[in-house]
Amino acid sequence: MTRSRLVVLGSTVVVAAGAMAALGALYLDPARAAVGPLPPQALSLPAGTRYVMGLDVKRFVASPLYTKYAAARTANRPQAFAELEEKTGLNPERDLDQVYIAGTQAGVPGRGGDALVVVTGRFDRAKVARAIETERKGVTSKNVSGTVVYLFDENSAGKGTGATAFLDDNTLVMGTQASVEQTVVARAKGEAPLRDNAALLALLEGVKPGSTFWMVGDKTLLSNMPKAIPGPGGPGTSQSIELPALKSLTVTGDLEPQVTLDITGEAADEPAAKNLADVVRGFVALASLQANQKPELKQLASAISVTTEASRVHVAARVPYEVIDSLQPKRASSAAPPNAP
Amino acid sequence: MSASPAASRVTPDSSPASAPSTDGRDVTRPVTFWRAARAVFDLSLEGMVWSRRSLLMVALLGGPALLSLAFRILLTRLPPRVGAFDFYGVVVAFYYVRNALPLAALFYATALIADEVEGRTITYLLTRPIQRVSVLAGKFAAYLVTTLALALPAVVITFFLLNTIRGWSGIGAIVPELFRDMGVMVLTLVVYGAFFTLMGVLLRRPVIPGLLFLFVWELLANAPGYLPRFTITAYLRSLIHHRPPDEGLAEIFAQVLPTALCLEAVGAMIVVFLAGAAWIFSQREYVLDQ
Repeated sequence: MTRSRLVVLGSTVVVAAGAMAALGALYLDPARAAVGPLPPQALSLPAGTRYVMGLDVKRFVASPLYTKYAAARTANRPQAFAELEEKTGLNPERDLDQVYIAGTQAGVPGRGGDALVVVTGRFDRAKVARAIETERKGVTSKNVSGTVVYLFDENSAGKGTGATAFLDDNTLVMGTQASVEQTVVARAKGEAPLRDNAALLALLEGVKPGSTFWMVGDKTLLSNMPKAIPGPGGPGTSQSIELPALKSLTVTGDLEPQVTLDITGEAADEPAAKNLADVVRGFVALASLQANQKPELKQLASAISVTTEASRVHVAARVPYEVIDSLQPKRASSAAPPNAP
Repeated sequence: MSASPAASRVTPDSSPASAPSTDGRDVTRPVTFWRAARAVFDLSLEGMVWSRRSLLMVALLGGPALLSLAFRILLTRLPPRVGAFDFYGVVVAFYYVRNALPLAALFYATALIADEVEGRTITYLLTRPIQRVSVLAGKFAAYLVTTLALALPAVVITFFLLNTIRGWSGIGAIVPELFRDMGVMVLTLVVYGAFFTLMGVLLRRPVIPGLLFLFVWELLANAPGYLPRFTITAYLRSLIHHRPPDEGLAEIFAQVLPTALCLEAVGAMIVVFLAGAAWIFSQREYVLDQ
């Protein structure tokens, strides 16, 4: 074998080994999702789900945003978490892995609260069940396809204001009674109704892998958004900017090492996407113009980029924590002048 | 290649008449395309991999792997400003696809034929009973294998060095990006290689025009309207999902072209450039200075 073929062979071995390791990581990863970022148990969500959002609790708790702002500023947080842990054995910072929120009736008048929350983590089922049963009055339970479903404030017709159930040892589902029961039945039968929702699955597949938080939604989610916003003249002027309708929205974000936000909206067509992109760029430009009064706004504006891809608009923001610090209001004590003698 | 009274001409029809072979081969028939291309590939690969040009390319294409190692070490000591996956995105989208791979293509592909002319060895290739296109095909294949052998291991190592900084958990989710990036890198080397091969057979000194194309013309990718569609890089960078946010002009006008359009455009460019290069090379008369 010639020297050049040895070099090519060595390179091939490195690439093949890397590809094997990558494929191994892809298929053996215990946290491997079923569709996009969703785990297999979340596929039991109703087929009519219009939006899904998720939070990687582990990443969120480990992020500078949580340690620096949320944890530091909530004085009673340790006490609240200690009480919760005492009653349920659950420490959210330690025991929760993922939280998913799904909505089936977004945009339907009077049904805006039809949301379902799926929490994965490590639970002491006995302790949590006892806490549910004893913590408040009016909690009843029923057996649905072999799974105990707890109902809150059940009336004489057997309808509760809310419900919760364990899908398995590591998955807790909460929400309206109908949604929870629908999910429990689907899970018991081994069905995956969400797979029937091709449009939402396509959006889920597009979620950036490993995001700390994310959200996807179709046009029903966006139906309650304003169709126009006040023009540069501000409220009271006759000018307003028409916002093109969005067919879908995908948001992904990370909090480490800086706050990263990627928003993708799909407009009706390419001109509408360009129009929307121009509106967003206009706001970024307005923020830049304010830089004389607030220099930190210039940094914020430069951290945002807007691009279009056919009928899609991408807004990407990369905001370092220094910029967030500079945008925080100054504390009154530090701003107050010292008292004159 | 200048015309002069004391010059030897190698024309498309200058292959010598076949003569009976002493080793029993049927030399009355020309060598088949694939066999000829394979022979040229073997010969060219040996000359390409072990060359001073390849030493430079090892540094150019392998640099990010070393940089990733430094990033991995420094990340534990310094407060990070950029995430590991974002940095990997910068390496692939900005360093490799926009700069290093086109440069590698420029230096290798423009020299495929030009080096033979410069070294006056093209006579030995063109006077064999083989099709001229097979010479170009063998050399182009050798270029591809050489550059891929230098670039792909580097990007694989860079991927793992950067994305395993915080352990292996969650890496499965970003593995598809690695395979996608490798695919885009292969396309980058093929399309720029085809383009610079065409320049190499068309122009006598193609390096300066090639550099101007890369670093002046390709800036149109950041221009508004349809101008980015007249560049190669706009299609390639649109194929990368995790590209970093643009800055400057690109921040204002950046467009991401649809994936199907990008693949169609890149495929069409490869076919047109390679067909053009093959046609010119098979028709051209090379006149060598004596």
